[in-house]
Amino acid sequence: MSELWVELEINNRKIARKTQAHKRLLDFLRDDLHLTGSKEGCGAGECGTCSVFVDGRLVKSCLMPVAKASGCKVETIEGLAAPGQLTTIQQAFHKTGASQCGYCIPGMVMAATSALRQNPQAGIEEIKERLGGNICRCTGYTKIFEAVELARAVIAGDQSEDVLAEEPVGKSYIGHNQRRIDAPARLSGRLKYAADIRMTDMLQMQVLRSPHAHARIVSIDTSEAEAMAGVAGVITSEDVPGTDGFGVFVHDQPVMARGKVRHVGEAVAAVAAEDLITARQALAKINVVYEELPGVFDPEEAMQPGAVVLHDYAADNIVKHIPLRKGDVAAGFAEADIILEENFSTQQVEHAYLEPEAGIAYVDADDVVVVISPSQNITHHRQMLSRILDRPINKVRCIMSPVGGGFGGKEDMLYQGMLALAAMKTHRPVQLVFTREESIVASAKRHPSRVRYKMGLKRNGQILAIRFSMISDGGAYGMSSEGVMRKAAILSCGPYEVANLCVDTTAVYTNNTPSGAFRTFGGMQAQFATESMMDIAAEALEIDPFEIRRVNMMLPGSKTHTQQELNSASLDRVLEAAEAASRWETGAPHMRGATRSDLGGADTRAPCTLGARFAGGRPGADGKERVW
Amino acid sequence: MLTCDNYHLPITLQDALVLWAAAPEGSRLVAGATDLLPWAREGRAGEVHIPALVDLSRVAELHGYTTAKGRVRLGANTVWQAFLTDSALRRLLPCMPHCSSWFADDQIREQATLAGNLANASPVADGTPPVAALNGVLELAHLEGDTIVARTVAVSDFVLGPGRTVLEPGEIITAVTLDSASGYGGSFQKVGQRRSLVISVACCAALVKTDNTGCVFEDVRLSLGGVGPRPIRLNRLESALRGERISHGLIDRAAHMAAAEVASRSRQQYRRSVVVSFVGAAIRDALADQSDVVVNFQDTEETASV
Ligand SMILES: Cc1cc2nc3c(=O)[nH]c(=O)nc-3n(C[C@H](O)[C@H](O)[C@H](O)COP(=O)(O)OP(=O)(O)OC[C@H]3O[C@@H](n4cnc5c(N)ncnc54)[C@H](O)[C@@H]3O)c2cc1C
Repeated sequence: MSELWVELEINNRKIARKTQAHKRLLDFLRDDLHLTGSKEGCGAGECGTCSVFVDGRLVKSCLMPVAKASGCKVETIEGLAAPGQLTTIQQAFHKTGASQCGYCIPGMVMAATSALRQNPQAGIEEIKERLGGNICRCTGYTKIFEAVELARAVIAGDQSEDVLAEEPVGKSYIGHNQRRIDAPARLSGRLKYAADIRMTDMLQMQVLRSPHAHARIVSIDTSEAEAMAGVAGVITSEDVPGTDGFGVFVHDQPVMARGKVRHVGEAVAAVAAEDLITARQALAKINVVYEELPGVFDPEEAMQPGAVVLHDYAADNIVKHIPLRKGDVAAGFAEADIILEENFSTQQVEHAYLEPEAGIAYVDADDVVVVISPSQNITHHRQMLSRILDRPINKVRCIMSPVGGGFGGKEDMLYQGMLALAAMKTHRPVQLVFTREESIVASAKRHPSRVRYKMGLKRNGQILAIRFSMISDGGAYGMSSEGVMRKAAILSCGPYEVANLCVDTTAVYTNNTPSGAFRTFGGMQAQFATESMMDIAAEALEIDPFEIRRVNMMLPGSKTHTQQELNSASLDRVLEAAEAASRWETGAPHMRGATRSDLGGADTRAPCTLGARFAGGRPGADGKERVW
Repeated sequence: MLTCDNYHLPITLQDALVLWAAAPEGSRLVAGATDLLPWAREGRAGEVHIPALVDLSRVAELHGYTTAKGRVRLGANTVWQAFLTDSALRRLLPCMPHCSSWFADDQIREQATLAGNLANASPVADGTPPVAALNGVLELAHLEGDTIVARTVAVSDFVLGPGRTVLEPGEIITAVTLDSASGYGGSFQKVGQRRSLVISVACCAALVKTDNTGCVFEDVRLSLGGVGPRPIRLNRLESALRGERISHGLIDRAAHMAAAEVASRSRQQYRRSVVVSFVGAAIRDALADQSDVVVNFQDTEETASV
């Protein structure tokens, strides 16, 4: 690998050193200079977590070969403010609560800084456009835009700096705009996520993944990879000392594929090496012989007799079936004035947290296996690892690194076992950082679902009976599926009191990417069906959609679908607030008047349009130079 | 992941051409690297080892632009952001700022070059339609002995198909020359999966010039991207408009003619309906973009009949 001499100025300090010629500016900053405030969220210029200034222009450092920066002045998040201080923009982000998980925040602060440097008077549309290259998955952007507008006002002197200060707490924190205490660490780029941590003597791990959806592993030959200079260890399922299997409810997932692979992207082997490139090159030297098996990719097909079976323990491919019964459904339908039947389906969804999975494992001097990762469930991971590694629980330690976005996706264990095994095999710290592509291929997704719905109602809108049947694609492993099915069943028919219901939710094994936890945990799929049914019913019965919900809403004393008696309920107030806020025009769904009063008000957000910069005048037409 | 044996940063065209001519097979030229680096990732080219990368961004002869004889000559290092930030370029090339504002984002535009966009020859590149509308010509250079030899190729002939161009081994794009279209109104329409950071499914560039009463189309230039392997100039449509009295009805009729041009293999029906509304919108936006002229439609949008 050839080397390159680079001389440049970073945050007003001269840097001169040798680096590898292929490196990107981002690698140079993070790996050579340990300036880890700039993050790698995608490596393809899409997300903006790596934005830095080069000679005053904001660029994505993942798309810039380091050679291009030589001789330039580079400014990173670390250089914006003096140590321990925050710029006005950073303070505004702190004030408005713009930083949540924080992973996008260094890049977002850079983009905001660039926007206001380019045009200190930028209006909100222009701000949105100039931040268009930076993705945030937590905030929905509102608080970020608020922060940039606040900073603009303070910088321009339109508002005093006092507006950035902490607001005194009155009697209660509730309803109080409290600044987050963990925000400055994120805003300054100082917070270390798992991929930012460096340990002495640390190895880099890379994972060989299955190209097949369903295949028997005939053999794995790692000898050539093992023999490579710089390779410290190769692991496969053979290296698991304890009981190999994890999952939230059923322990059906091996740390690495054992005997067969069940989905594309399943881990088969992993290499720990002195550096990333060696680890990647070693993957190519592992020889896996597969015998392809027929796969099943549709949950309803997987439920048919004679379908391909994924797991020996589940001949019917059922991960979990949750039945829920209340009242007498047949009697309810018999009394109904109207019966509606519809089918609904929802798709697989990726969490796309900006921090791809990452972690470090090492064996400490007391023989404790330590795993650092952004896990949303370290206690459970620790228990599972103890069995997998065959170590007493006090010899396994899980440390939760800051989670750069999880949304449930970092709840299910995934790669922590591999890290632990590699650390035990090499007795050196081992780090694994997923690429974005790897994260998308290998991590659990939201369950795709199909719901068959039958609803019987009286003419006044009262629901008499519901039959709700949901089939969910659980993918290749159980993960959180059982919990998701339980939650989907519990929430199935919404916050409405229904005397007679028959609910079934079923997760099914297929050779698709495993489904797991994702915020709402099955509730979203169920509510999509139920709330759509409510609107369809309102239309069929010519009732106002709010009204039909009021007729059926749970009240104190109502019995839930699982027959729990409620002693408080708030849907009445929620509906009232939603009706007012949406400027709802009363009437059945198809009874709308000639003009819509609910659109375009002060509290609605217009879609982003491009070209806000043109609004200040036609290009060149006024003859005056504007900042573009 | 991209690795290389050598990364060169020549500062003269001569040096660049020497390095490029001598570069081992499989070597690549680098401009902004915004196509190159994402290409070398999983799911696309994956692990890529390149013998030599010849980075053109420091080559002095490829910087900046000049104007002469009704043409603008853009050095190959001209980046997309320049079409927004340089007031002279905005005036001379009225469709380029609109295209640029739809192109990637502010940050990528600081790196990404027009020449790299054309050389990459993606059927959905945003650069080809406006360049075609501006009668773009590429200047290509190579070495014969020690002498730099240049040739020119019209953009419509430059792209052969997806990822394929007429560039010969050892050849470098040195400039893109375009009609100077001062006084024209320009526009660009684009549809993709999102608004920011998105590759087009289809796009359309327009340039329009009216007489100074705003009644007659003096010149109309229209081209489409994403609807076939190469950019398409809508010649038939342009002549149907040139010299005609401006009316909504005429614009609508002309727009419908564009559907026939859609040749892409996928989503043809969708692209056809998009293209018809794009062409109509592109003409109207370009009319509105003309400075100092108020357009005088013969009819109103409501009364126009197709
Ligand atoms: C997040 C993102 C968003 C994007 N959005 C858009 C978009 O909206 N629209 C769009 O069209 N594209 C888009 N792109 C693609 C890309 O940015 C453009 O195609 C860009 O113009 C390429 O230029 P470059 O200078 O970066 O080329 P490079 O990546 O450096 O090079 C591209 C190719 O051209 C060759 N090349 C470069 N310069 C020369 C030369 N002078 N002579 C001969 N060959 C040369 C290179 O060898 C290479 O094969 C996007 C890319 C990213 C990463």
